[in-house]
Amino acid sequence: MSTEVATPYEPVAVDSTTGLLSWVSTVDHKRVGILYILLAVFFLLVGGVEAVLIRTQLAIPNNTFLSPEVFNQLFTMHGTTMVFLVGMPFFTGFSNYLVPLMIGAKDVAFPRLNAMSFWMLPFGAFLLYFSFFTGAAPNAGWFSYAPLSTKPYSLGPGIDYWIVGLVVMGVGSIAGAINIVATVLCMRAPGMSLQRVPLFVWIMLMQAMLIVVTIPPLNSALALLSVDRWLEAAFFEPVRGGSVLLWQHFFWIFGHPEVYVFALPAFAMVSEVIPVFSRKPIYGYAFVAGSSTIILLLSYSVWAHHMFAVGLGTSANIFFSAMTMLIALPTGVKIFNWTATMWGGSIRFTTSMLFAIAFLIQFVIGGLTGVMFAAVPIDWQMTDTYFVVAHFHYVLIGGVVFAIFAATYYWFPKMTGRMLDEKLGKWQFWLWLVGFNGTFMVQHFLGAMGMPRRVYTYADNPGWALLNGISSASVLFMVAGTLVLIWNIVSSLRHGQVAGNNPWDGFTLEWATTSPPPETNFDKLPEIKSRRPVWDQQHPDLADWKFAKTPADSGSRPDRAKVCAWAFVISEAVFFVLLLVTYVVFNSQATGDGPTAESALDVRRTGIFSLFLLASSLTFFFSEWCLRTSRRGAFLFWLATTILLGITFLCGQGWEYYGLIANDVTIDRNLFASTFFTVTGFHGLHVTAGLIALAIMFTLGRQNHLTQEHAKPYGAIGVYWHFVDVVWILVFSIIYLGVFQS
Amino acid sequence: MSSDQLWNWTSPVWLVVAVLSIGYLRLAHGRNRAQLASFLFGLSALAFAFVSPVGVLSDGYLFSAHMVQHLVLLLVVPLCILLGLPREQSERWFQNARLNRVGRILAIASIGWICGVGAMWFWHVPTLCSTAAQEPILGFARDFSLVAAGLAFWWPIYAPASRYRLDPLRGIAYLFSACLGCTLLGIYITFAPISVCPVFANPVDRIGILNALYDAGLTPGIDQHIGGLMMWVPPCVLYVGAITSLLCRWYSDIEPETRIRKDYVEPRGASI
Amino acid sequence: MFPVFQPESPEAQAIYDLFLLVLGISAVIFIIVAGLIGIALWRGRNREAMPKQDFGSEKREIYWMVGPILVILWITAISAKLILTANAIPKIHPSNGESEAADLTVTGHQWWWEIEHNDSGIVEANEIYIPTGKKLRVKLQSADVIHCFWVPQLARKMDVIPGRENYIWLEAAKPGTYQGRCAEYCGNQHAWMNFKVYALTPDEFAKWEEGRHEPPSSPAESDAVEGEKIFFAHTCLNCHTVEGTIAKATIGPNLTRIASRKELAGGAIENSSENLALWLKNPQAIKPGCKMPDFKLTDEEARKVAAYLESLD
Repeated sequence: MSTEVATPYEPVAVDSTTGLLSWVSTVDHKRVGILYILLAVFFLLVGGVEAVLIRTQLAIPNNTFLSPEVFNQLFTMHGTTMVFLVGMPFFTGFSNYLVPLMIGAKDVAFPRLNAMSFWMLPFGAFLLYFSFFTGAAPNAGWFSYAPLSTKPYSLGPGIDYWIVGLVVMGVGSIAGAINIVATVLCMRAPGMSLQRVPLFVWIMLMQAMLIVVTIPPLNSALALLSVDRWLEAAFFEPVRGGSVLLWQHFFWIFGHPEVYVFALPAFAMVSEVIPVFSRKPIYGYAFVAGSSTIILLLSYSVWAHHMFAVGLGTSANIFFSAMTMLIALPTGVKIFNWTATMWGGSIRFTTSMLFAIAFLIQFVIGGLTGVMFAAVPIDWQMTDTYFVVAHFHYVLIGGVVFAIFAATYYWFPKMTGRMLDEKLGKWQFWLWLVGFNGTFMVQHFLGAMGMPRRVYTYADNPGWALLNGISSASVLFMVAGTLVLIWNIVSSLRHGQVAGNNPWDGFTLEWATTSPPPETNFDKLPEIKSRRPVWDQQHPDLADWKFAKTPADSGSRPDRAKVCAWAFVISEAVFFVLLLVTYVVFNSQATGDGPTAESALDVRRTGIFSLFLLASSLTFFFSEWCLRTSRRGAFLFWLATTILLGITFLCGQGWEYYGLIANDVTIDRNLFASTFFTVTGFHGLHVTAGLIALAIMFTLGRQNHLTQEHAKPYGAIGVYWHFVDVVWILVFSIIYLGVFQS
Repeated sequence: MSSDQLWNWTSPVWLVVAVLSIGYLRLAHGRNRAQLASFLFGLSALAFAFVSPVGVLSDGYLFSAHMVQHLVLLLVVPLCILLGLPREQSERWFQNARLNRVGRILAIASIGWICGVGAMWFWHVPTLCSTAAQEPILGFARDFSLVAAGLAFWWPIYAPASRYRLDPLRGIAYLFSACLGCTLLGIYITFAPISVCPVFANPVDRIGILNALYDAGLTPGIDQHIGGLMMWVPPCVLYVGAITSLLCRWYSDIEPETRIRKDYVEPRGASI
Repeated sequence: MFPVFQPESPEAQAIYDLFLLVLGISAVIFIIVAGLIGIALWRGRNREAMPKQDFGSEKREIYWMVGPILVILWITAISAKLILTANAIPKIHPSNGESEAADLTVTGHQWWWEIEHNDSGIVEANEIYIPTGKKLRVKLQSADVIHCFWVPQLARKMDVIPGRENYIWLEAAKPGTYQGRCAEYCGNQHAWMNFKVYALTPDEFAKWEEGRHEPPSSPAESDAVEGEKIFFAHTCLNCHTVEGTIAKATIGPNLTRIASRKELAGGAIENSSENLALWLKNPQAIKPGCKMPDFKLTDEEARKVAAYLESLD
């Protein structure tokens, strides 16, 4: 039954450009994926060196190896680096490389956008690390709590570099995630229904969707912080009416889902590794996949469990505690399924499998301490101590990094065509196992001894020196293990055993092609009739589709331009909603003196200019219709009208700004002015961006480059343009009409 | 506070419950036990919302009780009623052209979404919220509109005839975005520095229980906190439950043979 | 050695009990999960035959869920109960005549704590004297950034947030010294923002309070007298208060009874005349980045100012 069907692609001449420069210009998803992974490895080493320095300083009491200033910069950069420059790129890299292969596609949905998303990262990283050369790296911790991160308490430019670097990297992450979403939804090979995609693909789809909605809250928080720092507003300055908790809320609305942005891919990786090395299908596919979806949905309603100690109030604490407990369930479901998958399997203890098993055990430990933190009173004692440091390192290293190692040993043969050496691999595994547990297990006890996190040194309290010493010494094992890994990679690349197509007897489509795959990924695709097409091909008697029926592929795929536009609009919507929430929080109640919406704004005039913007949506709709029906003249007319209407609206806004500033209503005047200018300013920026896109379309249209075929991408721009109008309706009703005013 | 003051046994809601249950027992043929249980549970929830302390306290005393009542009417009662309708009998009802048109209109996802989420937001605009709590007629309009909006909201997910239902993935998006909608409202109410519904900030002490309430810690600020969280957490849990049921529906949706559309063409090189 | 595990107040005890319980539950869960994984691996280690291709069973998944759901409901319920009892916010509508005012006001500064006893008006820095067996309401506020007030043996942790008042209960069951720390990262010298709680028996506490009400003696020794002159000649009084003198600023710690303190600089050094002189000589060498500048005093001057401060008891 292992019939092969020809791929639906035309054969494309393989791009034979080689050499280093070709890596810069490449848009091949596999090469971009490898670039992501290399960047992550580089910053893993950088962040690792920072960690080693931190542990050296803490090895003995009253140490003076590092000054407090440098220590604070190091742990800030360690956290930021590991989150944004190691975790996210590693996973984006793996999903870039593997998702198109696993769904039988030739490339991602938007290869050029993909390359751009990648290059945003080194750019952002450069901005972040450039701060070291100014002599003041950011030093407010990776969550930069206000007011410590505002001007009076952080005068240097460190935080400014931090803000700009994070925004740049965030834009890249959102673009990359949108690409993965569009790829999975639109590029699947025939037969690959969404219920048949490998778990890796499904979970990475969930992760990408999570990134799309989780980065915008960070961006809104960063926008507010930068307005505070650069334009002297007072969002986070209590003396002038601001709220320091607003930062924490916004940051953790981003920050907690971000935890799942890391955890989900780790789940995805072991969900591939464990079944293959147990020679069984995953137990309860639907439950593993479904629980990932549930985690995605719940993850944004638990953020305040990072804030149990701020005194939110009894009711809020109880509810967030309950929600946090709830999210432990879908994770528990997964642990059950992985265990059940190994149960009765024929286990092959490869290095990859060893890392996956260690992942399981260590992740359970991290998860159980997580449940302890969800019981609020325990959190009151243990939060902000080394217990919490141990907890999240168990999740992030014991869980996530071990899963990354498992994935590295598993997919390295596919990426390079050569196997990693198993003997060296086992050395690395044991060194890391000992090193990791030695470093972080004792930190649980340090927390119970009362050692707060983020202290640059400590007095010689009983027991502290010993445990800190053990913790620091164990780091050496991890360093040694890392060196073994690097040596393993370098030597295996040269004379590792040749891998062949399917060295592990893998199940999913990436093992159906050569290692490394050709530029177009597949010469021929096996027929896809189940969740394990390669297994079906290898074991025709035991083929899955004979025993476990899966919903068939309807064959329909959404249009990728539309998927891209909608994902982008959703992401932007989250950003604006949080800015509007800020407006409502600070303006729902009349406080203090200074201008208010009633006293400063001319509702009627702005209302008239709003009509221009709303009309432009209509004219855009006409232009789209004309393009679809190939009426070039009318198309250009309506497009030009749209642009003119948009410009008129912007002029109206400029007029309003001029009047306000002339009356001394400037952004640093009071919170009304700050929120007003921030919200309308960002909206104006979006209108401007839309106008630029429309102007490009107009030029293309004049040069006769736009035809009926382009109606879909043109429609995608339309989705954005209509979105900007809808946002304005909200802005107008909230700010000008004062819907939430009391 | 005496307990009988907290129960409003003479509420006119009994009339509605009586009419509905008689109607159900007479008309809904072919119901199974689960459907009967669901329908009866829905009716008892309806009665509970007005007769129990929830109903009494929501009448001008506690914002949080008002919120519970609101949620029961919007989410629980309509859901139970829809789940309680027998499938085959409903199919027969909706053969009728006029009913079928109603069913088809309700099946438009955006209408249901706007009804469900819109009803929540609409009745929490501060002035409306206060007025509805003071004017009995408007209050009745509110309660009725909540149940109606709830029916419209759940229709695309649990309509008794499967042709009106959204396909599961769309259904998930539908519920998830609705969840976001009520989350936002919940966050706003929980963390808003102002009173969302001013009536509850300065209650008229009709039956002399205000001090007891304050002593129990239910001061207006805390009350609004709890109300906001009620708006937020229980609906989200309910939505997540519904999403889980949709996921099950999706994964178990097995078709016998693989069929790939003949005209399917792999998308070619992208332009961005 | 493990303050979290040595509770000395009813609240800390309750939290400790909950912690032990959850720890026990977690240990059981861990043993079950790790055991099952171990058995699966052990049994599958040498299995050569093709294993049965098992795709899972919905029923088993659902049965399995029941246990965890119950455990989670249980933990949620008991922790919710404890949350309710630990609430220290004064009621807005007091009904039974209980005092609603805070007994202590603690203000977090970068990087030291200011403690005001609201009834007696006594102001201290980094040392909190309390009577045993009394439940004290503590109001927490911040003068600059976010700090976090934490005495693991006595009470929960509570953030100290600018623009906001937080309340906790502080109570010690028996006399003793309890270490407290700032637990929220608050900038450069977060590490040295420690404080101590001294719990005295009610009698001793009354005695201590009385002693604090007596006006501080003026310096007698010649060194101390000269030190006093230097103190007032420099800008010390721009930041510090010494009661009974013209120094009344509240930017830095109140120095009225500095000699009675056991530690200096948020726990960075012991309070002794040598250490005090070293500190005055150059605070930045001991606590780099702290708000007290280097006044470039000579050794001699530093010794004399130290002698003056040592006389403030």
